[in-house]
Amino acid sequence: MNPETPVIAIDKLVRRFGRADAVAGLDLRVRPGGCYGFFGRNGAGKTTTIKCLLNLLRPTSGEVKVFGLDPARDEVAVKSRLAYVPDTVAFYPWMTVRDTLDYFASFRQRWNEHTERALLDQFRLDVRQKASHLSRGQRTQLALITAICPEPELLVLDEPTSGLDPIVRREFIQTVIGAYQEGDPGRRTVFVSTHLISEFEGLIDRFTIIEQGRDVLTLDADTARERYQKIYARFSDEQGSLDVPGAHALRRQGREIEVIVNGNAALVLARLKALSPETLTSEALTLEEIFVATLQPASVVA
Amino acid sequence: MRFQLNFKSGKPVYLQVVDQVKAAAASGAARPGEPLPSIRPLAEELRVNRNTVAKAYTELENQGIIETLAGKGCFVRANNSRLKKDVRLELLAQEIDDAVIQAHHLQVGKTEFLRLAEARFDTFEQQRDVAKKAGEP
Repeated sequence: MNPETPVIAIDKLVRRFGRADAVAGLDLRVRPGGCYGFFGRNGAGKTTTIKCLLNLLRPTSGEVKVFGLDPARDEVAVKSRLAYVPDTVAFYPWMTVRDTLDYFASFRQRWNEHTERALLDQFRLDVRQKASHLSRGQRTQLALITAICPEPELLVLDEPTSGLDPIVRREFIQTVIGAYQEGDPGRRTVFVSTHLISEFEGLIDRFTIIEQGRDVLTLDADTARERYQKIYARFSDEQGSLDVPGAHALRRQGREIEVIVNGNAALVLARLKALSPETLTSEALTLEEIFVATLQPASVVA
Repeated sequence: MRFQLNFKSGKPVYLQVVDQVKAAAASGAARPGEPLPSIRPLAEELRVNRNTVAKAYTELENQGIIETLAGKGCFVRANNSRLKKDVRLELLAQEIDDAVIQAHHLQVGKTEFLRLAEARFDTFEQQRDVAKKAGEP
């Protein structure tokens, strides 16, 4: 594969269910290496998009390419190079953990047994346990092992941590960082769809926010945190008519005002400074706050 | 070494790691020859992408703060005394910036600010002298 070929390339994707467009003209590019966040509210079209990537759904229109290949026409070639952890995991209930791992391994060209042992140990999973007797957290852990041991180039995670307890969630993310990224991180790509954004804050290099089936914002995480700032100013007396051009959202309460800016922090700071405030501070928004600011500007400053 | 990331600082995450290693090297918290944590455990601990830590270490290596010994890991380099001074001044400049901004908000002018700075220096020196005398038999 040409190193410039995007791992995922989606152009004007539309997927219609009856009269509703679950995905309505989505564009997305994921470069190899790193971790890509796919953020959206419930029902924004995240899972439908992922199902189109995996050929579990056919697009109504538009184009989807994985590793430069068509996931429908080259299904085996695509699927042999990726692994997928869905939000709800199901295994054959009569199989033990050991049976399940062997079953998954039988479909794969590579299977890192060292990683398998290390992760079974780390998660304290008993290989003789029946899959039907596993807790929800343990099922997700088992799914993660089956996804990481083949050492795929692309790891697709769909809401992987929702419904898990905080300790399992932490372990899950550490495993993605540690075990998955261990070998050749430049060629290992994580594509994670989630609305639990703060958990993945440090992991995400770049992200797309999807709303009503469309991409509404795509940015590098560092750039986003540099551009989106929350500015707070307190004045010695009430400011009568104060308009702050370039400010996203605004809360005003007596002598205090709070605004969100997108890329024009210096300008807004200078404008506020000219009014000689008693206090003037600014801080970056987290990815979760940027998500909320993008979809619902008025509710960020409560 | 302990690291603390702040996603609200607006500073790229890898640069936060770079600056904290530099500060540790300058303050003596990390001494020449001491090892830095390996990439994987540090990434796991900070819950950041491995690429972020790798990028920080590459940058530190380019700046001559650390060196990588094949098969052994990354170590703080000796002989960066000149840089040490630069880094120390840089760290101090950030603190002074905060004070200057605060002075502006409190409507304290430059002359007054500098006079206060001198007065504070004198106070600390006096306290040190007093402490020294008290310590003598």
